[in-house]
Amino acid sequence: MVQNRNKLIDLLIGNLSNAVLHRILEKAIIQEKPEIAGKYNKEIKNSWEIAKAYREKINPQTSALPVKGIEFIRKRVISRVNSEISVRILKGYENLRLDEVNIAVDTAMKEIKIA
Amino acid sequence: MELGIIGRISKGSKMDQIYIPKNRLNEGLSAGSYVLIKPFALADSDKVRRESSEKPILYGLLKIPSIKLYLAKEILKVIEQNSDNLDNVIITGSFFSEGFNFNDIDLLIISEKEQKKEKLKTILEERFGVTFHIIQLTKSELIGGLASDPLYENMLSRCIAKKRIVFNIKRNINPKLLDFHLLKSKALIDNFDMLNGRDKYYLTKNMVAILLFIEGKKVSNKSINESIKKLFDIEQSRIEDNLIEKKEFLVKYKKIHQKVFNLIMNSFKKEKDYDGSK
Repeated sequence: MVQNRNKLIDLLIGNLSNAVLHRILEKAIIQEKPEIAGKYNKEIKNSWEIAKAYREKINPQTSALPVKGIEFIRKRVISRVNSEISVRILKGYENLRLDEVNIAVDTAMKEIKIA
Repeated sequence: MELGIIGRISKGSKMDQIYIPKNRLNEGLSAGSYVLIKPFALADSDKVRRESSEKPILYGLLKIPSIKLYLAKEILKVIEQNSDNLDNVIITGSFFSEGFNFNDIDLLIISEKEQKKEKLKTILEERFGVTFHIIQLTKSELIGGLASDPLYENMLSRCIAKKRIVFNIKRNINPKLLDFHLLKSKALIDNFDMLNGRDKYYLTKNMVAILLFIEGKKVSNKSINESIKKLFDIEQSRIEDNLIEKKEFLVKYKKIHQKVFNLIMNSFKKEKDYDGSK
């Protein structure tokens, strides 16, 4: 299936946001109750793996994207994760910090070779 | 082969006696017959006791092909020969699905002592030619998991265990853990076309298991599949075979996902109110 670049970037943003949020939530659980941090993890396709698959379809595949592209993706991922975290904080979720989002997004973007 | 009956001498006021069942098929043991009584060697009684305790316990498995039961017994035997200080061993997962279409065999090893999982995995895989997925937990981790994690409850709803499992554990709604699990199921909304039927079924099952758990209902493969049928009006097998009407399915899926998310978020409030009232 041929997918255009914009569509692929959209899918990458969605999955990367989900993957970063997943990491932040996991950290919050481990800090509180390490013994319940899901030991039973079956190997299924998760957002991180799906994001990686989409990244591999976007050129340049092995080096960082152009600066304009990096900034666009970064802003949208940060905005999505911030919004998800804000909803949770509003509902009473404790130990979640908005100021950790930027660092988590930057780390993930480097790992996935966007930045 | 001559069959006998093992009995225990019980104390009487004037005479001691041995009680034997009234309905017995053994030849030569009818009332009035003369029998020989001799002590039962300790080694033999130990063997009988050991053999009866080796009988694995089946949970949620009304019908199981004898080949699978045989395999399960062999697996338990190999584990016992290659580990020590085990509190329990549980075989679970797709191995107990109908047919022989399983990917791997899931093993839960309950022990306080750190086991050599990699070595055991190699031994089992060499012996049986199947992939094994081994998780080690302590007793308290298993109890904690059963109390707060729908995945554990679902996993143990159909299994074979070496020893009895205590299921009577009070549920504890941990919104953070449930939120974390539910996030996995969000991947289906964004990536419907990319996922295969098996992934779609797993993500749907995960979401429905959380819903049942919050609603205080039983979480088993049977109850999950019945709920999927009710909520989506589709058989589980059609999802696994990737024969879903995308638009219709996604509308329902998003609605249920939002409902479960709201239920989880509301339990943060309940948790806070409860803490405040203490």
